[in-house]
Amino acid sequence: MSTLATPILNYALLAPILIVLGGALLGVIVEAFVGKVYRAPIQLAIALASVGIAFIQLWRIRGESSTSAAIASVSVDGAGIFMQGTILVLAFIGLLFIADTDNFTAQASAIPGSAEEGASIAAGRQQTEIFPLTLFAISGMMLFPIATDLITLFVALEVLSLPLYLMAGLSRRRRLLSQEAALKYFLLGAFSSAFFLMGAAFLYGYSGSLNLNDIATAVSGSGDNSIFLLIGIAFLSVGLLFKVGAAPFHQWTPDVYQGAPTPITGFMAACTKVAAFGATLRIFYVGLDAAQWSWRPVITAIAMLTMIGGAIAAMAQRDIKRTLAYSSITHAGFLLVGVVALNKSGLSASLFYLVAYGFATLGAFGVITLVRDSAGEVTDLNRWVGLGKRSPVVATAFSFFLLSFGGVPLTAGFIGKFSIFSAAYESGNIAIVVVGVLASAIALFFYLRVVLMLFFAEPKDDVVTVVIPSFFTRIAITVCFVMTVVLGVYPSLVLNMTETFGTFLR
Amino acid sequence: MSILTVLELLPLLGTLVIAFLPKSANRTIKQVAFVVSLVVAALSGLMAYRFRSGTPGFQFVESRPWIAAFHINYAVGADGIALVLILLTTILVPIVILAGWNEAEGGRWSVKTYYMLMLVLETMMIGVFAATDVFLFYVIFEAMLVPVYFLIGGYGRGERAAAALKFLLYSLFGGLLMLAALIGTYIISTNQGGGTFDITKLSMLQIDKPTQNFLFLGFFIAFAIKAPLWPFHTWLPGAAKSATGGTSVLLLGVLDKVGTYGMIRFCMTLFPDATKTFTPVIIVLAIISILYGAILAIGQKDINSLIAFTSISHFGFITLGIFAMTSQGLSGATFYMVNHGFSTAALFLTAAWMVKRRGSSQIDDFGGLQRVTPVLAWSFFIAGLSALALPGLSSFVSEFLVLVGTFTRYPVAAIFGTLGIVLAALYVLLAVQRSLHGETKPGNENIKDLNLREKVAIAPVIAVLVFLGFYPKPVLNVINPTSTAVMQHAGASDPAVKAGK
Amino acid sequence: MTTTTHLVYLIALPLFSAALLLVLGRLADKWGHLLATLVSAGTFAIAASEFFAMRSRSGAARATTQKLFDWISVGSFKVDAALLLDQLSICFVLLITGVGTLIHIYSIAYMSHDRDRRRFFAYLNLFIAAMLLLVLGNSYLNLYVGWEGVGLASYLLIGFWNQKPAYATAAKKAFVANRVGDVGLSLAIMIAFAQFGTVSFAGVAAGAPHASSAALAAMGAMLLLAAAGKSAQFPLQSWLGDAMAGPTPVSALIHAATMVTAGVYLITRSNFIFDASSTARLLVVIVGAITLLFGAIIGTAKDDIKKALAASTMSQIGYMILATGLGPIGYAFAIMHLLTHGFFKAGMFLGAGSVMHGMNDEVNMRRFGGLNRFLPITAITFGFGYLAIIGVPPFAGFYSKDKIIETAFNAGGTKGYILGICALLGAGLTAFYMTRLIVMTFWGAPRWSKDEQHPHESPALMWVPMAILAVGSVASGFLFTSGNSMVHWLSPVVNPTGAESGAELMKPIVVSLLALAVVGVGVAYALVKYRTVPVEAPEKVTVFTRIARRDLMQDAFNEAVLMRPGQKLTAGLVWADYSFVDGLVRAVGFTLGTTSQGVRKIQNGYARTYALVMLVGVLALVATIWMVTL
Repeated sequence: MSTLATPILNYALLAPILIVLGGALLGVIVEAFVGKVYRAPIQLAIALASVGIAFIQLWRIRGESSTSAAIASVSVDGAGIFMQGTILVLAFIGLLFIADTDNFTAQASAIPGSAEEGASIAAGRQQTEIFPLTLFAISGMMLFPIATDLITLFVALEVLSLPLYLMAGLSRRRRLLSQEAALKYFLLGAFSSAFFLMGAAFLYGYSGSLNLNDIATAVSGSGDNSIFLLIGIAFLSVGLLFKVGAAPFHQWTPDVYQGAPTPITGFMAACTKVAAFGATLRIFYVGLDAAQWSWRPVITAIAMLTMIGGAIAAMAQRDIKRTLAYSSITHAGFLLVGVVALNKSGLSASLFYLVAYGFATLGAFGVITLVRDSAGEVTDLNRWVGLGKRSPVVATAFSFFLLSFGGVPLTAGFIGKFSIFSAAYESGNIAIVVVGVLASAIALFFYLRVVLMLFFAEPKDDVVTVVIPSFFTRIAITVCFVMTVVLGVYPSLVLNMTETFGTFLR
Repeated sequence: MSILTVLELLPLLGTLVIAFLPKSANRTIKQVAFVVSLVVAALSGLMAYRFRSGTPGFQFVESRPWIAAFHINYAVGADGIALVLILLTTILVPIVILAGWNEAEGGRWSVKTYYMLMLVLETMMIGVFAATDVFLFYVIFEAMLVPVYFLIGGYGRGERAAAALKFLLYSLFGGLLMLAALIGTYIISTNQGGGTFDITKLSMLQIDKPTQNFLFLGFFIAFAIKAPLWPFHTWLPGAAKSATGGTSVLLLGVLDKVGTYGMIRFCMTLFPDATKTFTPVIIVLAIISILYGAILAIGQKDINSLIAFTSISHFGFITLGIFAMTSQGLSGATFYMVNHGFSTAALFLTAAWMVKRRGSSQIDDFGGLQRVTPVLAWSFFIAGLSALALPGLSSFVSEFLVLVGTFTRYPVAAIFGTLGIVLAALYVLLAVQRSLHGETKPGNENIKDLNLREKVAIAPVIAVLVFLGFYPKPVLNVINPTSTAVMQHAGASDPAVKAGK
Repeated sequence: MTTTTHLVYLIALPLFSAALLLVLGRLADKWGHLLATLVSAGTFAIAASEFFAMRSRSGAARATTQKLFDWISVGSFKVDAALLLDQLSICFVLLITGVGTLIHIYSIAYMSHDRDRRRFFAYLNLFIAAMLLLVLGNSYLNLYVGWEGVGLASYLLIGFWNQKPAYATAAKKAFVANRVGDVGLSLAIMIAFAQFGTVSFAGVAAGAPHASSAALAAMGAMLLLAAAGKSAQFPLQSWLGDAMAGPTPVSALIHAATMVTAGVYLITRSNFIFDASSTARLLVVIVGAITLLFGAIIGTAKDDIKKALAASTMSQIGYMILATGLGPIGYAFAIMHLLTHGFFKAGMFLGAGSVMHGMNDEVNMRRFGGLNRFLPITAITFGFGYLAIIGVPPFAGFYSKDKIIETAFNAGGTKGYILGICALLGAGLTAFYMTRLIVMTFWGAPRWSKDEQHPHESPALMWVPMAILAVGSVASGFLFTSGNSMVHWLSPVVNPTGAESGAELMKPIVVSLLALAVVGVGVAYALVKYRTVPVEAPEKVTVFTRIARRDLMQDAFNEAVLMRPGQKLTAGLVWADYSFVDGLVRAVGFTLGTTSQGVRKIQNGYARTYALVMLVGVLALVATIWMVTL
């Protein structure tokens, strides 16, 4: 009669995730019982509060590190905590954008254009489920980068993905497009998840364990290139590459980014990237480090393909959201450079890059929510022409985010690019640096083209107005802007942290 | 705090002050900008006075950690070469502001923005020459493009937007190549004990030849685009054509010098072996630039693009002098940078006045101005004489030093270079004849001559050109020790006299 | 070698007054010409005092220097701003300031009706300053400054009436042609520095014996190129004729007496180079011989009185250049001819100016005739100049030119014969075209309309200078040759070794008689040919005449060989710059753009396509991993 050891959970270390989850559940209850008049503010309050408290808790445990927080399935370490923190901060800002519930459909269940929809709009209904959904996603995102066994990883992946599929479909205007995007995202996401799961299975078959550390020892133990290991790595990578939106698994990105409600786009562009790359870094740095001879070349190739492809594809875009989607693909490529660097500076560089990229992305999408005409947001670039004349401040902020994407000095983006490239160079992979440089050159072209349209082209005489941003939105954009500047001028603020936090527990 | 830092901060301070002035207060804004730039100029004069010439190495140094993670410091200092270029900057800015007093009106944006951009640019121009930390240099090198981009695109003429974009893309592309090389150098320094961006420390690195060549190219192409050297020059004429006179002055007079300055400060200092390897190619490029730029200048119809092409020719001379690897060539090239700054300023300012008055930049629309506007005509003529390096004007001293310095090592190159002086005579005198001589063309009868403000603006430039032509010693004394040091570091020495006595 | 402190005033005074007149502008209109003339006279006074001071000193002490400041000093390249006044330069200083002053005086009257007279005098002073710097500089680089300075002054004065496009073009042509010469001077200086590590005359002289013959030949050739540019020698001669666009006093001072002879000065000053390189000397004599005939032939066909004189100048300088190429002994004769020529040619140009002044600026000699009755003084002074230039004893030209012809013959061998015969031929041609000029202008029947033109003698301000110059053209030759005074005076500078002329080919008296005979023929033929002069230039003339009228096709040649190809090249490069150099950049952008459009096609919006692409990606991924691990 074997005794089943009761699992020991270190709640202090898991608390941040649990708090967010708790907030989510609370939100669901509120949906059920509170009158719709009060829902929105209460939901927002809960969401912000839980994220805030989670962050405070995270701050209290920042020094901790353990592989046994939840048996062996998560390892809380510097990198993990840093990424969780990043996710929380970005999510907080994301929520401030989401707070402007005017972006979301009155009633998701109603068929677009139906009388029912009309009625709900007339009734001034609001879809406040968005907040608990966001919180669920956040909790998944927080789990993803610290999960150390493949099952937990998969669970986290799904927990973060499923809400996003839904949220992508909640746009108030152009609902069909939004719903189509959601469906695509779901289908392809499922497709990739399947690969991820298969990969997990193969790796288990190879190493007899689902734990990354065990897999690592198994790999380093036997140098043989077992077919199981290889296919396992390949399929696992597919799942991750899909999430980070790397070529050729990127095609969902433009459609989803375009279709989803802009605040959601910003949220997932920023936070999902952090979570996905967190997991990717951990898997490759911790689990498959010893097998680098097998995956490093191919990931390098994918990184190059993603950087160049994304940049080139972006040139021909006429829609600002699609343009940013391709830009995010390009940046996924740059971040993969940090992955294949496979050294300490590679890790801390990636961490910094994620922060810099996150703020700029949120800020950029935040600005997009402000540019509207009678029919709602205007994302057609040709109608952005001359915006700089009508609302210089907004245009300047937006251009600044673009310059940061482009990695122009004195912006956070530049420091990110610099540190990523130096990490890659340090690892001796000069080819990828050169390709990266060329890619950034191409990318610069379309970023600058937008700046040019904003400032130097003569404005068309149609009514594209910049709405007066709501209090929350204004704060959010300001924070993003300030951070992008500060991290560009005095990056040590975060760089020192990434230096100290930039370690994986093995 | 180093006086250099003060020089950098003052214009920023001015920008801040202007930022708080109302948009409508054009006069006040201009006056503030002008006074600030004057103060900066005066202060830089004081610095020059305190500068101990005759000693190589950096003075007024200051270094404080900036980005500890990458051992990046805010480190500034000035040696002879940097000093003269900083002076060039600080002297030209007030002149530009005064000369183009009404340039900003009718721009896409407010006068306020124009002068804020202008002052920010001055800060960066001083900073780029003062930086002794390569990363700091790079950051400013790239960042200073942005204000220029907006100055051209926001206040220029004609195809300004396209021109500005082309200029920015070209420069940023070069910058990215340089970034790769910069990272490479940094990593090497890390591998050789203690990563650093300090120029002096970096110059001590032991780098194997192939790597040197690779890194050298990264830096050099960036600088060749900036300078600009054939065949990387095609962004320049457009930019010069579209930019306002003042912007053109700062763009060709100062910013482009960063290219040739970088060749000396970084290419030669950091990668001496690679420098030797590539010298033949670069000499050829320089010669092509000299002749090509001159011939195309002859073929121009627009007065501004004409000046731009003459500059391409002159940058060819500067590059030739730098890579001739003789003390005459190097000092000559550095002195050339200063003189070119002033003579281009004179050309662009006078040209801008002509264009503003005539409402056209086509050379053939002028004609007979000599009779209508003698002072303007004379200013343009003297500027032209300086462009063709007439003895007695400072540009002659530098051009001859470059040529004689080249001749002692590469006689053939020097001979080709010397042909440039005939072409120079052609492009200057053709322009002078078409614009100043002949019967007064209809439409030019009532053009006003220079007013007092404009005379005051152009006078110092011409004075400098003449004074340094007769007495270049003060500048040369500052430059010589530095160029000697650079040569020693690059392991070069002047060729011996052929016929010993 | 003594040192002095007041040489600098020779240059500073005129330079200052020039600057003053230009800066003050109209404010100085009233008195500008007077100040300029006064300053010029002042420089002459200084020059004279220097001359007598030099006479009073003896031997090596005669040369005197003044160091002003060290000008350029980089590494071993050290150049002082320093002046050197020796037996050679004093000749020029006296000529420049003397003739210069006379022409200042002349111009007061000649330019009295011009609104820009002040500017004219400012330029004249500028020229005086630059020309003095040219001959006083103690190093090639100092000389270069003056060299370009006179070029600038010449440019400004030729284009003084630059509202006339033709005149502006003439000015530009002159400057550019000179620039070609300057390439030579620059390269010569570079060679000097590379070879001797210095560019001072003394330093180069000291080093010359040690230099390789190739280097010396190269430097000599480059100096010759420079001289050809400045002195309108073959093949850079074409600008001088057009330079007559300038006001006539300018032609007299710059394009006859002083500036155009700078080339002769340069070669004489560089005697140590040419003495050491026979190759260089050979080139010099060839250029000299060609040019003296070239100019003379052109002179025979010109109807424009100034252009005829210009051609003659070209030819006479050819004589001087020829002389400088004839070894140490030749330099003195070159300088001697230079000085005498300075007098008589300047005089004749002023005469021509006086004629134009009386004939409201008519220059076509076919519309002159019988003017001696209306402009007696002009006719007489001109006549003296005429006798001098064709070399009738005892007029100045006889002595100087004879010496050159003699020395040419004495060069020895076939070379001697060829050069000598060229020189003789030139003398004959000179006699012919000068006689033609005199006849067409002053003798014969008037060919101008009585009611339109009222020829009259010029005011004293104009004829006094002419008279003084006429005296010079009578007396100078005798002064210089009596007791070989000029040869002895110059020998310390130009012939320190005291080299003697080669073996006498024939007795001096024989040469003189030969010369006179040739001259006689020339005169006679001209008298016969131009007993009557058609008002319109006859059309039915030999092809030779046509060619001569077109300056022996010099311009046609330049246009065909330099100008038109140059214009084609320029146009071609402008096109290429856009199409290729910039086109390459645009091509990159275009390629990326089209690729981007292509990429868009894959992004067709169908989930099935995306899934397919993913699947392909997976297979590729697996395949690659597989391959790298094999």
